[in-house]
Amino acid sequence: MIDQTMIPDIDPIALPAPIWLLKFLLLFTFTLHILAMNVAVGGGFVAAVTEYFGRKKKSQNHFDLSRAIAKMLPPFTAFTITLGVAPLLFLQVLYGQFFYTSTILMAWPWLSVIVIFILAYYGYYIFSFRWEKLNGKRLWVVLISAIMLATIGLIYVNNIVLMLTPDKWKAMYFNDPHGTHMNFTDPTIIPRYLHYMISALAVAGIVVMMWGMKKLKANEQLGKWAIRYGAWWFLIPTFINIAVGLWWLIALPRDFMMMFMGGNQFATSYLLVGLASIFICIILMFVGMNAAKPIGKIMAAKLFFLITIVTMILMRHELREEYLKPYINWDAVRTEPQWDVIIIFALLLVGGLITVIWMLKKSFGKPVIESK
Amino acid sequence: MNYPIWEVPVIGGGWLIGIVAVIHVFVSHFAVGGGLFLVLTERKAYSTNDINILNYVKKHSKFFLLLTIVFGALTGVAIWFTIGLVNPQATSALIHIFLWGWAIEWVFFFIEIAAVMIYFYTWDKIDRKTHMIVGWIYFVFAWMSMVVINGILSFMLTPGAWTQTRDFWDGLINPTYFSSLAFRTLTAIVLAGIYALFTASLLKDKKVKQTIVKYSSKWVLPFMLLLPLAGLWYYMTLPEIPREIILGGITFVSNTAIVGLMAGALIFFTVLIMGFLKPNLYNTPVAVFVLLLGLASMFAGERVRESVRKPFVLVDYMYSNGVLISEFDKIKEQGLLKNSKWSLITEVNDQNQLEAGKEAFKLYCSSCHIINGYNDVQPLITEYDEEMLTMIINELENYQGYMPKFAGTEAEAAAIAKWLAEFNKENKKGEIK
Repeated sequence: MIDQTMIPDIDPIALPAPIWLLKFLLLFTFTLHILAMNVAVGGGFVAAVTEYFGRKKKSQNHFDLSRAIAKMLPPFTAFTITLGVAPLLFLQVLYGQFFYTSTILMAWPWLSVIVIFILAYYGYYIFSFRWEKLNGKRLWVVLISAIMLATIGLIYVNNIVLMLTPDKWKAMYFNDPHGTHMNFTDPTIIPRYLHYMISALAVAGIVVMMWGMKKLKANEQLGKWAIRYGAWWFLIPTFINIAVGLWWLIALPRDFMMMFMGGNQFATSYLLVGLASIFICIILMFVGMNAAKPIGKIMAAKLFFLITIVTMILMRHELREEYLKPYINWDAVRTEPQWDVIIIFALLLVGGLITVIWMLKKSFGKPVIESK
Repeated sequence: MNYPIWEVPVIGGGWLIGIVAVIHVFVSHFAVGGGLFLVLTERKAYSTNDINILNYVKKHSKFFLLLTIVFGALTGVAIWFTIGLVNPQATSALIHIFLWGWAIEWVFFFIEIAAVMIYFYTWDKIDRKTHMIVGWIYFVFAWMSMVVINGILSFMLTPGAWTQTRDFWDGLINPTYFSSLAFRTLTAIVLAGIYALFTASLLKDKKVKQTIVKYSSKWVLPFMLLLPLAGLWYYMTLPEIPREIILGGITFVSNTAIVGLMAGALIFFTVLIMGFLKPNLYNTPVAVFVLLLGLASMFAGERVRESVRKPFVLVDYMYSNGVLISEFDKIKEQGLLKNSKWSLITEVNDQNQLEAGKEAFKLYCSSCHIINGYNDVQPLITEYDEEMLTMIINELENYQGYMPKFAGTEAEAAAIAKWLAEFNKENKKGEIK
């Protein structure tokens, strides 16, 4: 029997919303966060490699793309943070007793996230604002920034898995209470981490394709090149990622693995839908990248890719619930929904989205004055 | 007692939170007031048709963007990280009470970040009117996020009716809500001017520089005159004990308040003389000096606000060491060690007194007292022997009003006293040598 006395008591104040709503918001905002993060991190690596080939092949196409990614990185990094705040909030309210404890065990690595992030973020801004001036140095600036951001992901994965395994805490804490632990002894950490990071490259590939589609009108040669180039960035990582996903699955404790193999009907169907949609997505990408009129096919591929991401996030959630099953009884968790405030939140969220869309439309929809 | 304790060497967790928080607050208030500055200065540039002001505002907006959305946003996340590490129990309580407040603030934050980026990236690319609307959207939502977070911060000191009703709105709109919102809003506007004076001091063209310095001084001076009024209002809304503490109840708190006031006065006169009256004197070193003074006075303000909350972290709900008032009696009866999930020692016996004392001290006292570090107990107890220490621990609240009552058994108090008395012995040995 696992020593449950080590798990902090659930907060005596009731949850201010139904559990399903909190879990939905956690997963919804996390999905948005992951998408922004994928562009911010994957985009950095794609930019670095593109810079490298640009120089090696003296290719203007590569430099044009690098310049374009440079402009995208800071905003996507900003949204990675902004969209990361919400899932962190919902995570804390739902799983605080697990999350705070694992965080304390790895306090210093966890805090270092802030410093690393600030440096990486400024690196992206330098890459963006001084792209021309940096010239030969810019490959290194963007590469180092991307590596730093990827390191943050590694620290996150360490913590998010550690919070699921309370049976390890005791030994760790009494061995060293100063908050310097990591969680690398867990065999799922590396495949789990790689699965996210490789997916970031694939998402960045899709962004490159979208940029290519936008360029088609003004510069068909560049547009077509970018679509093909982006497609390879999507395809190769995706193939690798299917293997890494399998690695992760095998690395899981046997019971958890089995839930995706029929043990849990939800988990299993998420996996099946996810696999089916990624295969459709891959086929559409292959067709689209060589097609005379690629846009429709690529947009459809994108849709199937999004379905895959959503199923993966649902699988991740099922896995978390399975890990924590012995430690939390959701039926016993008290809730006292504050509906009045929840409704205000919902209205503001809708209003906020409309405001942001309005601003984006006004600003980038139809340029009133041509940019210099 | 619920969570493992993360000991921060030397400075302690309280100071770590303090340092991170003050840095953040210094930037985040600028993020609010600076938004108003940007959009009003842009309007002035258009209405006076002054290309120099417009060019300055564009430059300033870049500085603003780089400072607020990178450093400001991430130090905000850093506060979350540190409070969760240092005081998970209180963080969890706040998040349970104000989850939807934070969620709403997050919506504002999201709009704010989108707006400031659009504002910066669309200079000269969209028509002036739309650009200014985006600027206004930025400012309004930046301020709205303060409107929310101010409620949560002031709640920690003055929970008001929430203590009885446990109602979200009672907690948010609490007795010091409006006075501290006024204070923070004024601070934000003043800071906008102080930062603007800094970027103005970097301008090369002397004439332009003088114009902007003079203009920015007008952002600082009148609002700074209002600050003491808002401060007084805030003070009037405080409960009796915090007021007593500020007025000399705890020396370092009143000293800190005085330092803050003096730094503020110094800012006022520096800006008045070197900014408003003789703008040619306002160079970059002066600007940096004024910024540092601003940081110092904010530090003092936040420090006072944090200190007057003692012995609580959440007034009338939780002591600064994370012990819930509602659980106090239970813990006192059963013992600290028994009620701690993260202690290897569960009770005091004849063999383990020193060890148990050390552990109980860590559980109950280390949130404020760091051995060989901040607020070290060693110099505070040199006069007392073990017996006296036991007595003091059992009556902490009478001995020092801003320390929590002791929630342990008499055996635990005795064990802590025994462990502490060892320091006296060792320190005496050291002196003799």
